Amino acid sequence: MPSSSFRAGAREGFRSFLPMSVGLIPWALVTGMAMISTGFTPVQAMGMNVIVFAGTAQLGTLPLIGIGAPLWLIAVTALALNLRFIIFSAAIAQGFRGVGAPLRWYSGHLLTDGVFACCFEKMLTVDDPRWRLGYYLAPSLWSWLLWQVFALIGVFAAGSIPKHWSLEFMATIALLVLLVPLARQRPMLVAALSSGATAILLRGMPLRLGLIVAIVVGILAGFAAEHWHTKVEAA
Amino acid sequence: MNAEATLWLTFVLLGLATTLPRASFIVLGGRVRLPSVVQRALRYAPAAALAAIVVPDVLVVGGDFAPLNPKLAGVVAAVAAALLSRNPWLPFIAGMAVLLGLRALAGG
Repeated sequence: MPSSSFRAGAREGFRSFLPMSVGLIPWALVTGMAMISTGFTPVQAMGMNVIVFAGTAQLGTLPLIGIGAPLWLIAVTALALNLRFIIFSAAIAQGFRGVGAPLRWYSGHLLTDGVFACCFEKMLTVDDPRWRLGYYLAPSLWSWLLWQVFALIGVFAAGSIPKHWSLEFMATIALLVLLVPLARQRPMLVAALSSGATAILLRGMPLRLGLIVAIVVGILAGFAAEHWHTKVEAA
Repeated sequence: MNAEATLWLTFVLLGLATTLPRASFIVLGGRVRLPSVVQRALRYAPAAALAAIVVPDVLVVGGDFAPLNPKLAGVVAAVAAALLSRNPWLPFIAGMAVLLGLRALAGG
């Protein structure tokens, strides 16, 4: 039986996350439909959804899986899409002091952009580890549930939509919508444009290696733009 | 290895490539700190990776650079919707409507 402070934390975490959790629904639906239009069976699609549990990494790697790209390239691309989680993980780590290793692994598995944004401040300021754990796990498990249920609805909806409706374009839109708020910052826009242009120029490279080169070029260009930007502002 | 087994192996690798970065510092606790240069460089990885996937997907048709195609118009509509509205559904509706509308006009 969970302690009363765990339950108090869980209630508060759930309440603060509930309004923004609605934003997960279109993502889950689109991801479900995109997995089917890649050619997965419903069991394969839900298998991916449970094992990976990451909209960006799922949507971003589906085109590569679809063309039969090599496994290592698919894994490296997913890793690049997930690098932001290392930063989130480092930022929220102090919030898990006093929590055992198995629950830390499970909490790590459940870490998403939305829960991080919503919870990390209080995770660092509250003292009681049981309260913090409840405060983190309630919105995380709610996200997990929404993600699975609406992906499943997307999986079955996709089957009843004609092929010439080009549902795979929804995955492209989903990735773009993730990119738009990032690209509001100048160095981030430079990173995206450099990476996109490089990917076009190197599209003939074997094994889609151009993709990896493009990501590296984008990171370097963003970093360079940041330096240049701060120098200009300091001058 | 058959296609089914390869696909499940792909899912497991993707799961690892997701859970390991997420769990990294939560599991390590306060024992290890990331150098700030690395932290700042890593911030650009998601934008770079997203663009590297999306840009060729929209601007390359059958291996050739062909920017003026119905997909680009759909993308412009979706991005405009994302910039102008906070409604999470609108980019999908606008983008799909423009893509399918242009294809219908072209007699597709």
